[in-house]
Amino acid sequence: MELLIKNAAVFDPVNGINGDKTDISIKDAKIVSKVSSKATVIDAGGKLVMAGGVDAHSHIAGAKVNVGRMMRPEDSRSGISPRTKITRPCTGYTVPNVYAMGYRYAQMGYTTVFEAAQAIMKARHTHEELEEIPIIDKGALTLFGSNWPTMDFVREKNMDKLAAYVAWGLLASRGFGVKCVNPGGGEMWGFGKNVTGIDDVVPGFDVTPKEIIVSLMKVNEMLCLPHSVHLHCNNLGNPGNYKTTLASMELANQVKASKDRQVMHVTHLLFNSWGGTNWGDFESKADVIANCLNNSDNITGDMGQMIFGSATTMTADGPKQYANAKLLHAKWSNGDVELEDASGVVPIYYVKQISVHAIMWAIGLELALLTKDPYKMLLTTDHPNGGPFVNYSEVIALLMSNKKRQEEIKTVHEAVHAKTKLPGLDRELDFNEIAIMTRAGTARVLGLLDTKGHLGVGADADISIYDIKPDQIDPSIEHAKIKSAFSSAAYTIKGGNIVVKEGQVTATPLGRTYWVDAKVPRQNHDEMMKDIVRKFKNYYSIQLANYMVQDEYVSHPQVIKAGAIPVEVN
Amino acid sequence: MQIVTIKPRKEIKISVEAENISPDKFGGKTEKDIQSLVAWMGNQKTTIGELFSIKVEGSGPAVDTKIVLEGDFSRVKRIGEGMTTGLIIINGNADMHLGAKMSGGKISVKGNVDSWAGREMKGGELIVEGNAAYYLGAGYRGESCGMRGGKITVMGNALDFVGEHMCGGEIIVNGNTGILPGLSNNGGKIVIGGNTSRPGSEMSKGTIIVNGKVNEMMPVFKLEGDEAVDGVTYKKYTGDIIGNGKGLLYVK
Repeated sequence: MELLIKNAAVFDPVNGINGDKTDISIKDAKIVSKVSSKATVIDAGGKLVMAGGVDAHSHIAGAKVNVGRMMRPEDSRSGISPRTKITRPCTGYTVPNVYAMGYRYAQMGYTTVFEAAQAIMKARHTHEELEEIPIIDKGALTLFGSNWPTMDFVREKNMDKLAAYVAWGLLASRGFGVKCVNPGGGEMWGFGKNVTGIDDVVPGFDVTPKEIIVSLMKVNEMLCLPHSVHLHCNNLGNPGNYKTTLASMELANQVKASKDRQVMHVTHLLFNSWGGTNWGDFESKADVIANCLNNSDNITGDMGQMIFGSATTMTADGPKQYANAKLLHAKWSNGDVELEDASGVVPIYYVKQISVHAIMWAIGLELALLTKDPYKMLLTTDHPNGGPFVNYSEVIALLMSNKKRQEEIKTVHEAVHAKTKLPGLDRELDFNEIAIMTRAGTARVLGLLDTKGHLGVGADADISIYDIKPDQIDPSIEHAKIKSAFSSAAYTIKGGNIVVKEGQVTATPLGRTYWVDAKVPRQNHDEMMKDIVRKFKNYYSIQLANYMVQDEYVSHPQVIKAGAIPVEVN
Repeated sequence: MQIVTIKPRKEIKISVEAENISPDKFGGKTEKDIQSLVAWMGNQKTTIGELFSIKVEGSGPAVDTKIVLEGDFSRVKRIGEGMTTGLIIINGNADMHLGAKMSGGKISVKGNVDSWAGREMKGGELIVEGNAAYYLGAGYRGESCGMRGGKITVMGNALDFVGEHMCGGEIIVNGNTGILPGLSNNGGKIVIGGNTSRPGSEMSKGTIIVNGKVNEMMPVFKLEGDEAVDGVTYKKYTGDIIGNGKGLLYVK
């Protein structure tokens, strides 16, 4: 099948195209240089065209997403739409049903989304859901930060075994990358405790979060994984935690990247850029964090922007969620995944007139506006922790229009004036920068820039067309139009198929699941497995033979090969 | 004044969802308009006119509209849902979700009502001369707030979970209630004329007055001594102390 998009106002930062009128040729799911005269033609009529959106951090599938659905039946009362000839019924806002995840991302022009956390033991559930999410390409990051084998190998300073474990864990979970959530804290939560910083010793394992982070970064680079370590810092959600975040970011200097990308991705920084000592003197330290990002060349981050209204917080950070539930008197679900981390789910309602919420809202925007290079600050809402992903258009409009920000600031708690720098920031992002934060940057951070996040020849034919003419609009003033256009794509093309037209889903092809097959020397694997076999015999409630996700669970795999190389470590 | 009399054309065996039976929807409408309003019977879409005979006398806006339900409405759900004004008189029984989310006006029932009557009610008045089933004036599944305002009076008995997750308003049950009235209450007032069991668990705010016997008391309430309310002396408890609750429970 051939497709030709004519008169497109293309924003493709990777290929240096900045709004130029260009044609895009598509053949067999790829972008090509030329198509025959038989190609179906779409006349974009000068409308905004970008590569399909790529989301590097969103909770779209797996055990805790489903716990969110179960404990929030009230959430299913919103977002209801009946089935059509093409789509299944949809429900939910913060925790939509499986099918709605795919439809709603595609309707926004997104075509690739990564689930941000799966425990290896729960990975089968993640893949059962990923298999059913229509349209988009996807993958899942695997949790390693509080796993017993990780901490054992870190204590033994045996990077070969740790690398073998990470490679085997990715295979066992059909995972895409290394996620590290509140390292050490997930384990301590099993005893009702938490770590308070990166130098606390995890009892029973005699390792510190700092050692865990550095070791995982080292083996991530030894294995040449496409993505870097994806870090949810310790102390998340506590006033004054920016110091812990800074100390964690400093660790990136200890490791050299094996590829042209960062060595550490610090996620949902909104929740980690907090100053003050309590909720009374709570303030933004987004400027300090953004400054640190500006001065380093091997760290990236994402916003985790907060959206006022209903949200469902879900994370492997079990102790944080207990604290949240107590603070908010909210429903609480707690999970313990045997030797592999903890988890928690708590609903929250973000209110404009609550000072802490207003400051948090401002912090996310400050991070994006104060980080000079948009490749270093991706656009996310940490769906559904900061808010549901359907609100990306709101975030884009806020970043592109100071007028909109000033209008919003008038409606939120006055604390944003004293406790944040947002009111004084007049930077307005342009379409090119938005394309980086939502496409080129995310693809680069994930290590998928060869096929995702751009429109060059050879890239996947994932394209979104938005109903605005970039040369005829002033985003600063007409921010409502920007929001409406980005919330509902005129066209979304996924793998060469038109999947959305005028905001309506027109086809639901199945996307692929990315996972990484990393090779390590046989003897390292065998040595490591001795420990794993012992752990299964002594501690796990299931058999090793029942642990691995089988190929049957990943029917449309996209396997990326990686493997161990010696790496220079300072 | 507009009076609309509505009667089932035949016995209703498959349950009907009829949130369109409401003064807001009937006010100022002709017989024909009303007949064409949508109703669902099971999974089949139909109209009010198909299921019920309609008689309209006089004409007037919603505020001056009185709807009289004659016959058996015990399989008709969601009557008066979300109504803001006017009057509904039910001369028999009504099915689940009667007056759910209503914010004004009045519903008066001669017979019994099924579960979820006055669910998430915001205002107005609901009077039931017979009995009420479960979750009277409660919140719906998962919601943190049930009834927020208005008044519900039940002359007979009610079953379990009266006013669950209530945040405001008043519920009066003259007879007995089932277990756990005022479960997870966060405001409002519940007055029980008869007996009940385990009132007020997980209460954080609000008031429950029990004039009959409490068959089983939750151990999470703290006895504060005797106190008179409207000239009657009660034992006053506060709780739920596990959640540091400030709820008030008065037991005769």
